[in-house]
Amino acid sequence: MDASDHSSADGGEAAVNAGDDTDYDHMIYGEDFFETLVENGSDAIITIDESSTILYTNQSVERVFGYEPGELIGSDLTKVMPDRLQQAHYNALGEYVESGDRTMNWNDIEIPGQHKDGHEVHLSVTFEEHPYEDRRVFSGIIRDISERIERERRLERKNEQLEKFASIVSHDLRDPLNAAQARLSLAKAHGEGDAEYLEEVEEIHERMGALIDDVLTLTKEGRSIGATEHLALEPVARDAWRTAGTDAATLEVDDPNHVDADPERMRTVFENLFGNAVRHAGEDVYVRVGELPDGNGFFVADDGPGIPAEKREDVFEYGYTDSEDGTGFGLNIVKSIADAHGWTVEITDSEEGGARFEFRAPALE
Amino acid sequence: MTDADGDPVVLAVDDEERVTEAYSLWLPDEYTVLTAVDGEEALAMMDSSVDVVLLDREMPNMRGDEALKRMRAEGYDCRVAMVTGVEPDVDIIEMGFDTYLTKPVTGEDLREVVEDLLSRATFDSRSQRFFALVEKQSTLETELSRGELDENEEYQELTREVEKLREELDETFESMGAEGVEASYRDL
Repeated sequence: MDASDHSSADGGEAAVNAGDDTDYDHMIYGEDFFETLVENGSDAIITIDESSTILYTNQSVERVFGYEPGELIGSDLTKVMPDRLQQAHYNALGEYVESGDRTMNWNDIEIPGQHKDGHEVHLSVTFEEHPYEDRRVFSGIIRDISERIERERRLERKNEQLEKFASIVSHDLRDPLNAAQARLSLAKAHGEGDAEYLEEVEEIHERMGALIDDVLTLTKEGRSIGATEHLALEPVARDAWRTAGTDAATLEVDDPNHVDADPERMRTVFENLFGNAVRHAGEDVYVRVGELPDGNGFFVADDGPGIPAEKREDVFEYGYTDSEDGTGFGLNIVKSIADAHGWTVEITDSEEGGARFEFRAPALE
Repeated sequence: MTDADGDPVVLAVDDEERVTEAYSLWLPDEYTVLTAVDGEEALAMMDSSVDVVLLDREMPNMRGDEALKRMRAEGYDCRVAMVTGVEPDVDIIEMGFDTYLTKPVTGEDLREVVEDLLSRATFDSRSQRFFALVEKQSTLETELSRGELDENEEYQELTREVEKLREELDETFESMGAEGVEASYRDL
């Protein structure tokens, strides 16, 4: 940037007439405009001299660093730098003042700064050198990009999760595809006896279909919920039971209790828990839905083999299953929906020694 | 190595019995195909007559990774193909297999791989190691992005070792004048 623009200006007219003489030059007069612009712009501005002493800051430094201008002016610039960068700063400044060689890029460099309260802030800084009176001074235009960095990190984490998810899903489809292919080969080779193989292929295809449904539920619906209602649990549970229960199984729902939930998602939770109970406890499973003793949530319990304590964390992971016909996504869906409602889910033992899923939230009644 | 008649012996390991059944069907009739449903059973069936192991990764009662480690520890140096639905990642570098097949596999895939592995049995151990490393390198190159590979120290190490072995083998073959063999591994 050409140094003469405004730093050498000593009068209003001179400041605004630095460019070509167009009509626009006359639309703004006086230093007030520039002062306001510089003082209150969203970016912090700090000017230092050749020995790193702060000569000027605008008001916005307070928003970025927590210091008022008066606390910084006269101090060394390293006051707003993390310790580990201070030596490098002196070296770079000294070298530049001496030789004119820039040891780094001066535009939009990303660098951490240190806030008054001690935490580091992510900054994007552009440096300018300009003469002021007979001195060389350096100004930094400083933008706090902490939010952007945080957003990027969240995205990165999300991408990692997605990648993990994609590799589990592809494994869970590759395996049955391989199994189906094997059976088709066997069916072709065995002529007469092929019906058995073909039935197995059919089952595998159904399982793959169920997996795809679960994956879609998880990715499209699991993480968000629609409008919540003050729901009676019993009708929702009965409704889900018609899909996921069996003729031999029993569902008992305790006295009417209510929950604030998205009805559709709530039904999905029940379907997955009931399906899980039938798969692990058998066709004649007994399932009970009721209110937690402290009234702060509800539970779904069965009389099956239960879930060993060391597996209780794992069962909520993507793709975790001990069962031949489970997709491994059911409980992950349950967890996602619970998370979306702000509930915690805990697995304990039921009175009958089976699994008991407890859903808890301050908002539950 | 090989059975009493001199025909190849393949040990197929997968928790889906239908899958190993199909492998038996796909492989030529003269091969002896042994089958196991998990890592434990595979170890129990392992003996010095086995030429090639086809090994699933995800199995109950000992995963394929672990079974392979133990086979190597027990001194079996037969050729091993991982046949699995698990997407390969850099963790495969440390595993002692010769090639990695991603499910679903066809009969043709399987026959080609087994034949290829059987033909390698005639090479010396250095060449076999070279083949195994080159396979891992290309498996990872197919699976991971350039950026991921550049950042991965283990992959860099693998690449250096491949180059070193390639040079050594080049010298060996040059001194033997065995251009045919040299060309055959260059094609990999």
